Amino acid sequence: MSPMVAAVAASHAPNMLLEPGRETDEFMAFHYTMAPANDHGVVSHADQQKLAEDLERLFLPLRAALDEAQPDVLIVIANDQFVNFFFNNIPTFCLGIGDATEGQFTRHHFRYAIDSNLARALLSSLVDGGFDMAFSQQLMLEHTQVVPLHFLLGERSLPIVPLFVNTWVDPVPSPRRCYQLGQALARALNLRPERIALLATGGLSHFPGSPRIGQVEESFDGMLLEHLREGRGSALANLELARLRQAGNTEFLNWMVLLGAVGTATAEVGYRPDGVATGLGFATFRVTPSVLAG
Amino acid sequence: MSAYELNRVLFDLKMHDELVDELERDPQVVLARYDLSEGELAALQSQDPRQVRAQGAHGMLALYVLRNHRDFKDNIYWSQK
Repeated sequence: MSPMVAAVAASHAPNMLLEPGRETDEFMAFHYTMAPANDHGVVSHADQQKLAEDLERLFLPLRAALDEAQPDVLIVIANDQFVNFFFNNIPTFCLGIGDATEGQFTRHHFRYAIDSNLARALLSSLVDGGFDMAFSQQLMLEHTQVVPLHFLLGERSLPIVPLFVNTWVDPVPSPRRCYQLGQALARALNLRPERIALLATGGLSHFPGSPRIGQVEESFDGMLLEHLREGRGSALANLELARLRQAGNTEFLNWMVLLGAVGTATAEVGYRPDGVATGLGFATFRVTPSVLAG
Repeated sequence: MSAYELNRVLFDLKMHDELVDELERDPQVVLARYDLSEGELAALQSQDPRQVRAQGAHGMLALYVLRNHRDFKDNIYWSQK
């Protein structure tokens, strides 16, 4: 039986974890300095509150999958946004193999043990299998991890293994390469005794730090999620990187790693443009031993 | 132009709160530590992320030119990374 007991994916937009009202207003005012013409006015506090309520609903199936699976460890596939890495050294793929990691998000503090035995074993397996991973014993958590972790785990303590993908500094890896990493990851996991869950974060369409801030290509997001719903994630490995970039979806590369790991598993998906800047996407994969063996 | 030093200023402003205060107190001394072109320096002094981006800053770092802007100094965004 595969040790992969759950696999979920979710966006990590910072405003998801900001309070409706002043905090979200400040966030919007700040981001739209990059393109004032795209700012079509504040999102009402009622709409912000509705988003907060919708997020609780959208995370329900993901949280239920993790609760039911009772994993021993959660592999968190996310991207750096100039916290752990800078232009002096940007790894394409990096595994966290330290003992613990932590981060701060407004008033929320996060600290998780890293399952360093698993992390080091995965590192060796991936390198042996042809993926020359970078690794680090000292990595901080960022919003790219803690926003979904807040909704998924709350106060629950669960060891994690952070896996970073470079999604924002060119050259970023291709969708196919990320998918192949996921396949290699699944092979490595099959050698392990732990009950392992996967979380991929990021996306969907959004343009932070760009003159296109505020644009969301909902049809493209819908196409991605439809593939996931039908268990056709492998077809997305053929996506052109330029198309992902055009749709503001390079963070979907994190999801591509997960797709390589889950193979033909179908997913329950959710979608909700946040009205701020991001098409928020959610997926809960139906991972079963037979699907994963395929 | 690699814009490495320009991005370095912005990254340091993101990661080191004390630099924000220092930059406000004595911008010339702080900016002199970086090897910046005249255009980069002018863009930083403009506190306009669009101008900083036009000089080659990464879009996500360009926003940190607002770190000590009077309208955004206490923005919630700085309390997360």
